[in-house]
This record gives sequence, C-alpha cells and structure tokens, in this order.
Amino acid sequence: MSTATTEIQLTRKDFVSDQTVRWCPGCGDYAILAQMQKVMPELGIPKEKIVFVSGIGCSSRFPYYMDTYGVHSIHGRAPTLATGLAVSNPELCIWVITGDGDGLSIGGNHLIHAIRRNVNLNIILFNNRIYGLTKGQYSPTSRQGKVTKSSPMGSIEQPLNPIALALAAEATFVARSIDAHTQHLEETLRRAAEHPGTSFVEIYQNCVIFNPNEWDGLSDRSVRDDNILYLEHGMPMVFGKDRNKGIRLNGFTPEVVELGNGIEEGDLLIHDATSTQLAFILSSMEYPQFPAPMGVIRDVRKPDYVSQLMGQVQTAQAQRGVGDLNKLYRAADLWTVNEREDVAAKVAGELSLDMDEEYVDNLDKADMDATTQVQDQLIESSIADLNPHVPITIDVQSSLERATRQLNLHNIGCLLVTDARDQLVGIFTERDVLMKVAGLVDDLSDAKVADYMTPSPVTIKPDQPIAQALHLMSVHGFRHLPLVDEQGHPTGIISSRDVVAYLNQAVN
Amino acid sequence: MTLESELREEQVSHLGLSGFSKASSGAAVRDVLAQLRAERHNVCLITDANDKLVGIFTDRDVLRRVVNAPETLDAPIDDVMTKAPVTIRPDLSAAAALRAMDENHFRNLPAVDEHGAILGDMTHQSIINFLASRYPVEILNRPPDPERFPRKQEGG
Repeated sequence: MSTATTEIQLTRKDFVSDQTVRWCPGCGDYAILAQMQKVMPELGIPKEKIVFVSGIGCSSRFPYYMDTYGVHSIHGRAPTLATGLAVSNPELCIWVITGDGDGLSIGGNHLIHAIRRNVNLNIILFNNRIYGLTKGQYSPTSRQGKVTKSSPMGSIEQPLNPIALALAAEATFVARSIDAHTQHLEETLRRAAEHPGTSFVEIYQNCVIFNPNEWDGLSDRSVRDDNILYLEHGMPMVFGKDRNKGIRLNGFTPEVVELGNGIEEGDLLIHDATSTQLAFILSSMEYPQFPAPMGVIRDVRKPDYVSQLMGQVQTAQAQRGVGDLNKLYRAADLWTVNEREDVAAKVAGELSLDMDEEYVDNLDKADMDATTQVQDQLIESSIADLNPHVPITIDVQSSLERATRQLNLHNIGCLLVTDARDQLVGIFTERDVLMKVAGLVDDLSDAKVADYMTPSPVTIKPDQPIAQALHLMSVHGFRHLPLVDEQGHPTGIISSRDVVAYLNQAVN
Repeated sequence: MTLESELREEQVSHLGLSGFSKASSGAAVRDVLAQLRAERHNVCLITDANDKLVGIFTDRDVLRRVVNAPETLDAPIDDVMTKAPVTIRPDLSAAAALRAMDENHFRNLPAVDEHGAILGDMTHQSIINFLASRYPVEILNRPPDPERFPRKQEGG
C-alpha cells in the first residue's frame, strides 16, 4: 500500500548538527536557527541537496549548526560563492546567511549583483544594526545618532535601507520578518524557499549584548501588533492590535489613519506584491514614523539566471558541439618561456656574478627606443656635468645701485645675495629690476638690495640629476637656479639656457 | 633619439611658446613697464600702426637702458627697445630656432607668420616646457624636494 517509498520523511531533528551553538545567551540568532530547522523538513528536499553558505560574522556561524552541506566562506563573498554553486549544480537548494556587516559593508556589491542576476538563492540577511562579532561598532544600518564604540558621539552616517537596496537591484522576492515573531518568521522563510530565483529576506534580529533595544517596539509581544503592518497580497493594509488602523495613500505619500469616522477599509491601500511602485513606498516606511511592514513585500516571477545560462550553453553545444576546454586553452596566444641557454651553461660551470650585468648589457645593445638617450641624460647627467658658472655674489647690505651695476658689468641676469657669513640669503635678477625697481625706486643708492631680492631661493645640489633642474624650471618658471654646498655657501649658478644647451649638445 | 633630433621634428608653433605683452610704437616707457608688471611678462613686443612688429623690449633692456636713466621713463619706448628684431616662422623646426638663438645669443625669438601675425615668443623656457610634457615621468612627477625624508613611519 505504501507505494510512495521515495517520499522523504525528515524531521526537525534531522537538521540539527552535533555542533555546540556558540552565540551569546539571548541572541536572536537562536530563534532564526530554530525556525530554519523547523521549515527545512517541510520543504521535502533531501538533506544532500541543501547547502548553507555564509561569510563572516556572528550570523555566519549558521552553517555549522545545520546538518546539511555548508560553507563558511569569505567575508562578504557568500553570494558570489553561492552563485557559482548554483551554476555548477542547479539542483541545489542554496541558502545564503549574512548580516548587515557582511552583506552590506564588505559584501554590498556581491549582494546586489547576485540579486540582480536572479540566481536561485535564498539570501537571509540578519539585521541587528551593529557589528556584533567585533564587539559593538556601528554598522551600515545603524541609525543616525547611534552611540557605539566606533561612534562615541553618535553615528553621522545615513543608514542603508536593505529592502530598498534589494528593490533597486530588481529583486524578484523581497520580504521582512523579525526573530521574535516565530510564526511570521517561519512563514516568511517558507515563502522564500518556494520562490524560484533570488529571494531576499531581511530579518530584524536582536543583538542582546551590543544593541539590545534596537527592536523594542517590534519584538515586545504586548505592543508589536500596534507597530507592525503584516502584509498580505490582495488585502487592505490594516494593522493594530484591534485592527483599527490602516495605511492610506495621500498623493505619493502613505499616511496612517484610524478606521471609523467615515474611513473604511475600502479607503486603504491594497497590498500588491507585484507592484514595483508600492514596494518602494513600503520600503520607505520606517518604524516608528510608520508601522514596520513585515511579510512579502514583492513577489514576481522572472527567468532565473542559471536556467537561462544553461539554455545558452545547450544552444551553443547543439550548434557547435561540446567544447574542449583544454583545446580552447591551447588554441592561441600560448607560448613557452625557455630557460636561456647561456645562463644554464654558466650555472653548470662556475657561478657567474656578472649575470645581471650581462643581461643589462644585452638589453642596451638591442634595438632600444632611441628616445631613451634624452631620458638617460635627464636622469644620469648631474648638475655638475653642466659646468655651472661661478656665481657673482653681492652682500645683502649693498645698495640697488651697486646691484644693478654689477648685473650690467658682468652682463648677467642674476646675482646671488649673501650675508656676512657668505650664506646665500637671496637672489636678485633682472626680472626683479623690471617688476620692483625700474620707475618705482627714485634713488637706487639709497635702497638696499635686501628689500628687493627674492629671499630664500630654491637651490639645487651638484649631484642632483638634470631632471631636477628641469622640474624646478618647468613647474616654477625659474630661469636661474643657484647651487649651494652643505654649509649654504653659494658655489655656482645654472640657467635654463645652460640646461637646454647641454641637452642639445651632449650627444653630438 | 637625441634632443636635437627630437627638436628637428617639432615645429616652433608646437612648442608651447612663452607669453608676451604687446604695446604700440610711441608708447611711454613708463606705461610699458606698468603693463609688463600688470601682465607679469618679461617681454614686450612693439608694433606699428599696421600691427607689424617693429621692436622688442625685455627685462634686459630695462636693466641696461632704463633703471639707471630715469629720464628715459617718459621717452617713447622706441628709444630703448631693440629695433627690427629677428623673427622666425612658426613652421620652422624647433632645432633650427634653437640654433639661431644660441648662435646670436638671443633669449627671445618672436614667431611671426607670413601675414605678420605674432604667434608667440620662443625662449629656452619653451624648450624646457616641451621637455617637461615630453618626459613627464622624469621631469614633472618628481618629489619637489628629493632630499626630504619623513621622520616617522606613516600610519600605525
């Protein structure tokens, strides 16, 4: 009589692993684990077809406690790993367990791309609005003003809205539940499991140690029904312990209304899980300004990623035959790097210390890009190679009359100004004469060069490369650069003309 | 490729010529000085009524002829400028232009096209700016002070 021998009869116990559960006493994770273990046998899926994939965090310990296959994977990458798993074995029932840190901080990108591809995954995001495993820093969902160990004066960051994020990624199934409401959670998990494609479920989860009061109004049995809007497809949005309140739309804005006094259920919004616009309105409704929407916010059907991908693979194979990865890999752009013969010979003989030098020499001989001659000069020639001019100096106490006479006498454009200890303190150029002196100073014999020079000029050292001089001249527009020794005494001067002439003639 | 061979392939007009001020023949020296200071240029090109270049007045001229001779301030610029300066065509190779500068000890070579329009002033700075953009890795992207080292390790 019992012909249904293949019927799987599993119980909750079959999904309990032998691991010691290591969460803090009172953690909401326990409630979620219990509901998951309760839902699993009702799905009629053999255990070997079920995989739990997690990232890093308190919630990510979940796979250890489920007696199924499981992967405790890389931080934030559970959706990525799960996508690969789904593609390689489309028969699997895959659950991604993540948290607000793992899934929205480090794994934010992986999450949204898994969702938008509509891979057949059930993504369960435990949202406790805190970093629990690292002992209480604010997370991407922490409220503004939240005081945590990493936000002692209150978080200044706009929190992420996980539901809105999933909707923006065009999730085909979006739902929300809360750890403390076990029946609701159980039903939501079941609905998520039944949905083909990506199911995204946000679970408000209590971190009893580091954020214990986050969901007070929603988890407390005595008040929660006044603060939660339980969504049912096709039903008016009525809520409240006495079911005497509802949600009405005023323009684009939802508003809470009391039933009675001329307001009837017919005036209220009707939940439609296929409406994108309504889903966004619901995602914007935040407790305590609104009752927190719970249940299935969006549920639509679209082709899932894996079946489409496999369809393309089959089409390609039908047209061109089954591929050979090895053949493809070796088809083109493949070459072998041989050991250099002479190197091998030298190693076999005596150990050669000049191997690198020889290699460089060979490179130099090769058809090297000719422009490198200039580049080499820029780096390898030093300022000393320019044969800097002997500087004409003038004491800082000198008059402008003397300074201009010196410039004219030596037919130069630049004087180095020194103090009593022969230290370079300034530079006085023909440009200074034009900009500050000519026609502006009446008596040159009465004015001091100290007041018209450029003080503390940029200097250069003989061992620096020519490129440094070009750098200073091109960036700052300097025409002259003084050289000083270690004690700050001027030892020479170079001009832009000197640098250009050197580069232009060095090779010729 | 050497700098000389590179400059042979570049036209003067491609170098990024230096800026200059422009004043009319007959302008007072005092006014030209004020204009140079306001425009922060070292060089003023002097043109006649037909906008043709007739002279050049540089900071070197200020030094040699003006600063120690206050009476020139109210004279016309023509008295102190260098008349009929040597010019180059903008399509001349930069190498030839540079050679002309070095052979004649010019520091400025105005580039003037066949219609007499003044396009810019070729200087050694023009070559340096060309090199800086030609070899940015070697020239521009250098630490401004290569001898400065951090006293403390960054970070932790």
